[in-house]
Amino acid sequence: MREREALEIAAAAVDLARAAGAHAEATVSIARRFHTEARDTTISKLEQSIGSSLHVRLYRDGRRASLSTSDFSREGLERAMRAAVDQCAVVASDPLAALPEVCGAFEGDLALCDDALAQRDDAAKIDDVLQLEQLVRSADERIRNSSGSHYSDAVVTTALANTAGFARAYTGSRAMRSSAPVAEAHGTKRVGHYGTAARALRDLEGNEAVAALAARRAVELFGAKKPATMRVPVIFERDIAASVIDDLFAAVNAANVAVGNSWLAQRVGERVGSELVSIVDDGTLPGKLGSSPFDGEGVPTRRTPVFERGVLKTFLFDTYYARKLGAASTGNSSGGGIGSNNFYLEPGTSTLEALIASTQRGVFVLETIGFATEHATGTYSRGARGFLIENGELTAPIDEFTIAGDFAEMLAAIDGVANDLRFDGAVVSPSFRVAEMTISGN
Amino acid sequence: MLDTATFDRLLARALRFGGDYADIFCERRSTYAFRLQDGRIHEGTTGVTQGVGIRVVVGEAAGYAYADDLSLEKLLEAAEAASLIARSLPGGEARAFDFTNVPVQALYDEHRSEHAHASRYVALLERADATARAYDPRIVAVNASISDEIQDVWIAASDGRYVHDHRPMVTLGVQAVAAHERERASGYVGDGGRTSLDYFDSHSPEELATDAARIARTNLDAVPAPAGEMEMVVGAGGGGVLLHEAVGHGLESDFNRRGVSLYSGRVGERVASELVTIYDDGNLPEERGSVAVDDEGVPGQHKVLVENGVLRGYMQDTLNARLMGVQSTGSGRRQSFRFLPQPRMCNTYMPPGESTVEEIIGSTKRGIYAKSFAGGQVEISKGDFVFMIAEGYLIENGRVTAPLKNATIVGNGPDAMTKVTAVANDARLARRHYTCGKGGQHVPVGVGIPTVKISSITVGGTHDA
Repeated sequence: MREREALEIAAAAVDLARAAGAHAEATVSIARRFHTEARDTTISKLEQSIGSSLHVRLYRDGRRASLSTSDFSREGLERAMRAAVDQCAVVASDPLAALPEVCGAFEGDLALCDDALAQRDDAAKIDDVLQLEQLVRSADERIRNSSGSHYSDAVVTTALANTAGFARAYTGSRAMRSSAPVAEAHGTKRVGHYGTAARALRDLEGNEAVAALAARRAVELFGAKKPATMRVPVIFERDIAASVIDDLFAAVNAANVAVGNSWLAQRVGERVGSELVSIVDDGTLPGKLGSSPFDGEGVPTRRTPVFERGVLKTFLFDTYYARKLGAASTGNSSGGGIGSNNFYLEPGTSTLEALIASTQRGVFVLETIGFATEHATGTYSRGARGFLIENGELTAPIDEFTIAGDFAEMLAAIDGVANDLRFDGAVVSPSFRVAEMTISGN
Repeated sequence: MLDTATFDRLLARALRFGGDYADIFCERRSTYAFRLQDGRIHEGTTGVTQGVGIRVVVGEAAGYAYADDLSLEKLLEAAEAASLIARSLPGGEARAFDFTNVPVQALYDEHRSEHAHASRYVALLERADATARAYDPRIVAVNASISDEIQDVWIAASDGRYVHDHRPMVTLGVQAVAAHERERASGYVGDGGRTSLDYFDSHSPEELATDAARIARTNLDAVPAPAGEMEMVVGAGGGGVLLHEAVGHGLESDFNRRGVSLYSGRVGERVASELVTIYDDGNLPEERGSVAVDDEGVPGQHKVLVENGVLRGYMQDTLNARLMGVQSTGSGRRQSFRFLPQPRMCNTYMPPGESTVEEIIGSTKRGIYAKSFAGGQVEISKGDFVFMIAEGYLIENGRVTAPLKNATIVGNGPDAMTKVTAVANDARLARRHYTCGKGGQHVPVGVGIPTVKISSITVGGTHDA
């Protein structure tokens, strides 16, 4: 139903572009979103909306301009198209800027939309979030307040059409829940955060698990002290590990490579990481959040090994940067740039507990703050919190320190990968250990 | 975009079950932008975003819905969805809303409604590109972008407030990448504000590009930052991110009403060295964070957050102000009509002190000179923060020496503010390019600070201090 509506809007935009003498692709997104927040025993936020948007990228003689609008009236579309065509006149002509040669879709069943989620009753969602808030508040006596518990979901229809005749649509669902309890002890407060997401309701981590983890994160670091400055092994817990892998994505993003913004430029074929570093981008995993039948330009998604046992095999491309760097698109066009499908580090065989137990002295990182990674140089630096590891056991909680290192050295020094990979986002990772990093504290 | 009769109808529908308050945020944003890469104009972008957000407030709860389809039918559906937060109430009384125009301060060039000719944007980008490339042969890539945006908002509230604000915003950003053998480094500089392209007549793209190229070249020669505790000198202007993270977020009223912030219930208490005074200002002409009226229709204001080390007050939006029994400070802001407003900072800065930069650097035996920050983040409940240094140097025996590579600073807000031991007389606002993220919403902000000395901070480098 929505797919048809979205395809019609996309087709109208494509026709207008064709009439203006341009090649174009039009993407329409129609999303129904629901969000509710519970605090203590009441609902403190209830939001629900249907939103739609149109993005058009047009090409005239290799000159590229894009437009976005939520005004789908004929006049609105015509006005937007004129502005974009006018912009083309001052853009440099670039023979590489054109639609993909071949479009298509991955034809397997990707299980993107969960009917149980799409049809879920609002009252059930409200009961759900109130239960989560109650569970987290009763999880520990030091938790007497919260910054709120959340449940949200969305059903999003995406349609893509272009002047070469491609026209396809798909619908995906997603649900998220999270909680942020505030614990208080010895005159200090700490907020714990834990959130999770899935395409299908049955795959979403339950309220009990979310409450338990959020509560544990709020209380477990009480009494944390600043550690000494040292060089030791560092274990990244899986959520933080995922943020490291996300940073790495920026370095394999061909758009960054092409403009000199990646420390991995010129390194394809080289051994960059340790034997344990196998990283994949895969848009074809059924039921996963980063899956879709085709990318933002209508190129079928696929499975692309990016690192194999430490060797950098390829960057990730859209059509333009593939042409620019002499490769083929890997189906990673997204929102006018390059984005991930499911991008993940392959899991190892040992448990996280075993990884910790095999660490004589080190640091277990549970939270980081800050977001600066210098992608041109590959320097990693974050504020962090976690635990000291002594004789294979988590001992004292620590905070107000930083972890820093060089990305190339970090990847080469990964000497342990756990088996706790979980697809609760598009970029995910199991926990892993880096043999040595600098901890800055006292 | 909508007439007052429509606002009236929507508010009545939104309050059909009752509720304390309802408002409508109607927005139209038009964007016009170009991007330069590889020495030529790579792509043009235009955009029109328009829609209406409707909110119903009951106690501390808010119902919200938006529509980007402006037909009356869809707007009424949104009003009904927003009203559901109050569904257990007995029902509202039918009434009309007599709208009174809220006067709007003249903080920006309010008459400009069209973008300039495409060639003017392109010329600015090409000048930046040429300057950065000519600066040093080791500059191997330049990426530049310019955007010109006009946001019109119309706000109507059930208390009769009606206001229209017309907000321009231009931004020019230049990134230079320097390379030598396998070493690479980059520098980024941005500027602009709630003004027009004419701003770049006096703040030229050459000046920005030179600075971006200089930072890239400096960072190419940089040495790894030391690790451990040392003194820190925060640079004037761009160092203001320190105030935004270390103190500002903790003084937003949502965290304080909920008792989540470490500053909750501490107005009147000493929270910093007596050298520390911090303002947040919503009505500095042309600054990125300025709002003639905020996104709830309340005029932007000058707020004293900390005065001589004593906490004076929080930044309030309407909802939290009502619940705390005070007035909104014009701090209710939102990314777009798709979002509920939150209490946010506008332009956060510290006024000048009495020391000089020379005294401050001269008295530093071994420390880090954080000339500007690329950004930062704070954890609200305990006040731990991090900053990423965009341009930093080592200070040894009172002299600025080697440039440092990508250092991160970690600390604790109240602790760092207590350790402020000198404030210089060179206060200034930073170049205008900062954007603040909170709860998934991004809004433009400004920061400023004089040169400030902090007696001890943890530097997160890789080498022994």
